[in-house]
Amino acid sequence: MSSVLNCLAAIVLGCPILTLLILGLSGLIQRPLPEQLVDRLTKFHVAMGLVATLGILGIMIGTNHSMEVLDLGNFVEIGQEHFHFHLEFIFDRLSIPMVLMTFVLVGVIGSFANIYLQGDAGYYRFFVCFSMFLVGLLFAFLAGTIETLFLGWELVGLSSALLIAYFHERTSPVENGLRVWGIYRVADAAFLMAALMMHHWTDQGEFLRMVNDQPWPQGTSHLDPLASLSVGLLLLIAAAGKSGLVPFSGWLPRAMEGPTPSSAVFYGALSIHLGAYLLLRLAPIFADSLVIRVLMFGLGALTAIYAAMTARVQTDIKSALAFSSVCQVGIIVMEIALGFWYLALVHIIGHAFLRSLQLLRAPTLLRDYRTLENAIGGRLANGQPAWIARMANHRQIQWYRFALERGYMDSMIDQALLKPFRKLFKAFERMENDWLRWFEGPSRPRGQDP
Amino acid sequence: MEDHPGPNTCHDTEETKLDTKPSAFSPEQVQHAIEHAIHYLPSQGPIAVFVHHNTLHAFEHLPFELAVIEGWKKYGAEPYLSEDRYRQEFLRGRIAREDIEQVLAKDLDQRAEQPIVLGTTRYELRLAMLLHPIRNAPEEELRWFIAETKALREFRDDVSPNVESKVIRSVQDWMERNSKVTQQVTQQFTQQFTKGSKSEDPTAASSPEQWRAWTLAWLHRVCIKGASLVGEVLNDAIPVRRHRDIVLGSHGIDCDVCVNEQLIRFLGSATDQGFAQWGLPDRDRPLFELFQELYGVRSIFQPGWLKELSDLIAQDRASDRTSIESIVHSLESLGLREYGLDDFIDSTLLSLPGWTGMIWQLETNAEWTPRPLRDGSLQDYLAIRLLLDRASLRSALGQIAEIEDQPSLQQGSLSMERLAQVLAFHQRRNVRQTVYQRAFILFQVAQLLGWSPNELESLSATEWQSLMDEISHCGTMERRRLLHLAYERHYRNEALDAIASQPAPVAVAVPTKASRPISFQVITCIDDREESFRRILEEIDPAVETFGAAGFFSVPMYFRSSSDAHYIPLCPVVIKPKHFVDEIGQLSQQELQRRQAEARRVLGQASHRLHMGSRSLAAGTLTSLLGSLASLPMVARVLAPRLTSRIRELVARVVKPSQATLLLIERIAPETSIDAAASESAHYREAKLDQEAKLNQGFTLEEMANMVERLLGDLGLHRFARLVLILGHGSSSLNNPHESAYNCGACGGGRGGPNARAFAMMANDYRVRKILQTRGLEIPESTCFVGGYHNTCTDSVDFFDIDRLAPSRHMDFLQAKSLIDQARERNASERSRRFTSASLGLKPPEALKHVEARAEDLAQARPEYNHASNAVCFVGRRLRTRGLFMDRRSFLTSYDPTRDGPGSEILTRILQAVIPVCAGISLEYYFSTVDNAVYGCGSKLPHNITSLLGVMEGAASDLRTGLSQQMVEIHEPMRILFVIESTPRAVLEILAKNPGLDRLVSNRWVQLATLAPDSNRIELYQDGGFADYQPTSSAIRVVADSYACYHHQRDHLSFARLGVQ
Repeated sequence: MSSVLNCLAAIVLGCPILTLLILGLSGLIQRPLPEQLVDRLTKFHVAMGLVATLGILGIMIGTNHSMEVLDLGNFVEIGQEHFHFHLEFIFDRLSIPMVLMTFVLVGVIGSFANIYLQGDAGYYRFFVCFSMFLVGLLFAFLAGTIETLFLGWELVGLSSALLIAYFHERTSPVENGLRVWGIYRVADAAFLMAALMMHHWTDQGEFLRMVNDQPWPQGTSHLDPLASLSVGLLLLIAAAGKSGLVPFSGWLPRAMEGPTPSSAVFYGALSIHLGAYLLLRLAPIFADSLVIRVLMFGLGALTAIYAAMTARVQTDIKSALAFSSVCQVGIIVMEIALGFWYLALVHIIGHAFLRSLQLLRAPTLLRDYRTLENAIGGRLANGQPAWIARMANHRQIQWYRFALERGYMDSMIDQALLKPFRKLFKAFERMENDWLRWFEGPSRPRGQDP
Repeated sequence: MEDHPGPNTCHDTEETKLDTKPSAFSPEQVQHAIEHAIHYLPSQGPIAVFVHHNTLHAFEHLPFELAVIEGWKKYGAEPYLSEDRYRQEFLRGRIAREDIEQVLAKDLDQRAEQPIVLGTTRYELRLAMLLHPIRNAPEEELRWFIAETKALREFRDDVSPNVESKVIRSVQDWMERNSKVTQQVTQQFTQQFTKGSKSEDPTAASSPEQWRAWTLAWLHRVCIKGASLVGEVLNDAIPVRRHRDIVLGSHGIDCDVCVNEQLIRFLGSATDQGFAQWGLPDRDRPLFELFQELYGVRSIFQPGWLKELSDLIAQDRASDRTSIESIVHSLESLGLREYGLDDFIDSTLLSLPGWTGMIWQLETNAEWTPRPLRDGSLQDYLAIRLLLDRASLRSALGQIAEIEDQPSLQQGSLSMERLAQVLAFHQRRNVRQTVYQRAFILFQVAQLLGWSPNELESLSATEWQSLMDEISHCGTMERRRLLHLAYERHYRNEALDAIASQPAPVAVAVPTKASRPISFQVITCIDDREESFRRILEEIDPAVETFGAAGFFSVPMYFRSSSDAHYIPLCPVVIKPKHFVDEIGQLSQQELQRRQAEARRVLGQASHRLHMGSRSLAAGTLTSLLGSLASLPMVARVLAPRLTSRIRELVARVVKPSQATLLLIERIAPETSIDAAASESAHYREAKLDQEAKLNQGFTLEEMANMVERLLGDLGLHRFARLVLILGHGSSSLNNPHESAYNCGACGGGRGGPNARAFAMMANDYRVRKILQTRGLEIPESTCFVGGYHNTCTDSVDFFDIDRLAPSRHMDFLQAKSLIDQARERNASERSRRFTSASLGLKPPEALKHVEARAEDLAQARPEYNHASNAVCFVGRRLRTRGLFMDRRSFLTSYDPTRDGPGSEILTRILQAVIPVCAGISLEYYFSTVDNAVYGCGSKLPHNITSLLGVMEGAASDLRTGLSQQMVEIHEPMRILFVIESTPRAVLEILAKNPGLDRLVSNRWVQLATLAPDSNRIELYQDGGFADYQPTSSAIRVVADSYACYHHQRDHLSFARLGVQ
């Protein structure tokens, strides 16, 4: 049985990797495949993956297993440095639903994009990023070790940033792509530090070892409180960056620069939940740390309230949906903090489907409004809640501006993170210049270009 | 950083100039400048009603060629396609060499034969430059090109071997004659190019390759010498209109970025038509006040430059300035002078053209929207914009001062002059064309014209100068203009030849006289998309007659269907309808319909709550927990769109209003209002319209008779078949914010079905017929009209009121319907050839399924191609174009010159409608195609609907106007060619009486030709008069039928004659 399972698991992971390799390599040697072939290849591999996952699920239910591990051994191992990069994948109650959802969503969006992007100059580029994204997601969802999770996490980040900058002939997509990439880097840095710390304290990155080989969601960690607190904090920052929690929420609406299908599946549905998934996966490890759970709850609540408010004032459909997504992710994080892990899982999956559909339909907004208006027989009420109307006028204006300006989250990051960072490096630049000038000897007269 | 003198140096030298105080402006001056600027704003209103119009309508008083260049200067948009694109068209055969030659000869006229240098005439020089690409590039790139490629070893590929050998021979001869000089001159070259050849004498032992290399190297050197003798040629500098251009040019800081981001958010809220759940508080106040209120206070974490803004607002508030006073103050503190005012305000308003235009539209032209703007909003917007500009500029100058250590900049005023000097310094390097660049152009021209270096050596400095002048006069814009004329000429000649090859009218008229029975008659819109439909119908049954009239069928009305909440105008935008028509349920169905309406209302409210709730906190949680259910419709809709829509339709049938309805077209006395449901929405903003509706419900019999008489007169319809079908048209598609652009233009972006239905009801009414009879227009009793609606996207045709047909007509109708059904399939198949996702071998029934699926597919960015590829408008009898394959590129307007009066009253009213409408469509397509990024709205893929008003690109951008890339990708941009069956005299008279039409025609925004009513003589409009057109070739392709014509073809097709004559 286990060889069948291994075989199926290999298909789940292998098919998307194969797609990525074929598309990527043929693109690299300047022989891009024709659109039809790209479409067939993607569809076939997604379907294979979906069937294989269902097969694994069926076998596991049939044999009453709640967990299946695919160990590919160490990718890199440096004995004397005690370094190893361990590739291990877990199929369990958490990862299988996520993988199923991924295949369904990616499959649907893939065939959507095939028609939507037909004849577009970036069709091929889109599908290369698209398959990279799928591989990244699968790695992240199935990861059994923190380093595997990081690998998937990075692939998702890279492909997302490239897809946001899909229309690279205009400046704003590129700028926004860069900005998202920058925030992802902050999250990555936090993640990497957390991974190193974990290795430092436990000598390993396997989730299972950390929870005494108990399948998710059972088991508790044997990290000491301080370690668990610091690792937990770092992971919380990582999750906040990736899932657009406060104060990083500003990137999600900016991610709507790409073509509609990529906005829908990536930012509305899948990658936005990656941070929440990270917290969910590691939840048993921090279950005992009250501080982390309180912080997590607080962050979730803050995000949900902030995003709910901001979403209300948005006047364009894509930003409104983006902030609504952030709001739900905030609630999901709260659920995780409260220990309702299964609820959070159901919430993630339901939310992903709902948002994808809403985003795909976004360009139909005018028609939908007209249909509704005709059905109701008049203009639509915009449903402004009563508590807003009860606010004093100047308070209302203050809060409205806060929401309209998205709480100045981006500007806050600029001022609190970016500015000091840049100042520091400017100072280094100056020092280097001074040093070079001293080295060059007496300066030439001004105005003479060499 | 330290190597240049910095802006400071420039300032000091010009200090004296700065003493002059900036002018003080009066409010009137500013208002006048704003009015001036309004003309340049895009005039597209809210996207739900999309009307095609000339994108450059503001420049219609100028000749087309000048206007496009003005547009280039004003908006930075391309005037024509790129030179490369025209060359591709040349290679594809869409432009012939002869077209270019003819166009050039006509353009140069007298000046053609003037010799320039070396016996080459101006004509020859320009022709060479038109036929072959002349490249230019930055000097570094050219140096690389010369050094690293075969440029100095082989002639250009497009130089013929004859010319090549002639040049080489001439060099060889010259060398033999002047061997002594040669040795001297060429020593260094020989060393270099014979690559160590042992021979002492370069001429003797050289191989042909060496000779060639040698000649080219010499040629290049001569060109460099020549280029250094001529005066400077300036490239186009970056236009400097606003302070922002200067700072951008000098330091690469774009002050507009943060201003626009801020404004887009603010304007989105201020103009929102009801999307946001939490709207701007007190949004009925003036924009300027709202803005001051919102941004007047500092807020924590706001970016630095907004702090400057709140200071500026505080100043304004302290001095209690109104918006106009604030503008005046801003202009003064920006150091504006009087002479630059108009230009400055134009370009300030045009920095976000889409949004600015929308404000103006909402202020003046959108009383039908839920939330129009107050008067003075545009002025408020300008005041706001200037405040933001000032804040952003200050902050940018602060940054620059930081970088450059120039404290003076930080405190200094923002005067244009001061900043202009900064720019001048930074720009100086980029403006000039270098000697090397000029030499490269000369080098290419010399090769193309076969000038040999020895001849060129003999040119004097003045000759070089005149050569260079001549070349720069034929710069890229001029070449593109000429190539465009050639491009238009090619298609125009094809079209006119095809029309001229039709059998002469006398010959055709005879069989019609012999009263051959007509099986039935079809009246459609003049739309180019109906051309194929009509042609196919005539092909299936040669006894069918078809007519074309503007798709509102001269029934202008406000219409409200039984399931609609609001009245919509169904007529061209220039007409304001006075009459209101309601659709109501038939008496026996009214109870059922009332219940259905109630069910729709409940369902609608529920789904609206769901829609809103899914975006909120608590309700959102609930909906997302159940969100997995959304996977079902999503997977189904994406993977099987057509099936899903079928199922949805079945389910929706429960609440869908039944077809059993009536049109209330007849005048009803105001107090006897029949329908209770129709007056429910009185408390909304449309209340005024509803009030009016009660007073002007329906038409009187007299009015009906007038409308019927007018349309039949326009069509020249006097022999009636037993059955006359009249088909309005529209289009439906999903995920398409521009849906209304696909509808009938003559119905103001609405669907023309109700107009057709109303017309048929009127024409069937015996009382109307009686009135007509007294006016001498007899409609036989046996004739019956049936209205219908043609959906051009799904190719479905629905008929109205067929239950009221007399039983004796059932056979007639069923026969006609089966023909129409065949035509639908064939029409779908002809359309499908254009869609790359439809395989070329689709059989007609499959094609019909394919187009049906397109309309229901969420993923489909091209539900149909709309008017793309439109190029001709024919006004005349159908028999003059019948049997001609026109590839869905022609509007067809019916007009019978033999039945028009001596004053051409009918033609006048037809042209008054047809020329502006078709010119609007054609020119909108033209501009959206030649510069899709500026005139069009870019790719459809990242579009994002905002404020229910329009689309932005991606997360936040200007409101995009015009047509999308997916709509115009198969379009051939050319001015529409009107072919009018009439005499030149009549047409000139009409033009003289209608200055609006004359402006379009004499400024060459459209092309115009007449076809004599009694012969095949064609005359072409030129410079205020008509000139005979000589058909270029008499042979036209003859094919069996349309299918044979388009089968397995994707590209544009040439004209063809159908069937064996």
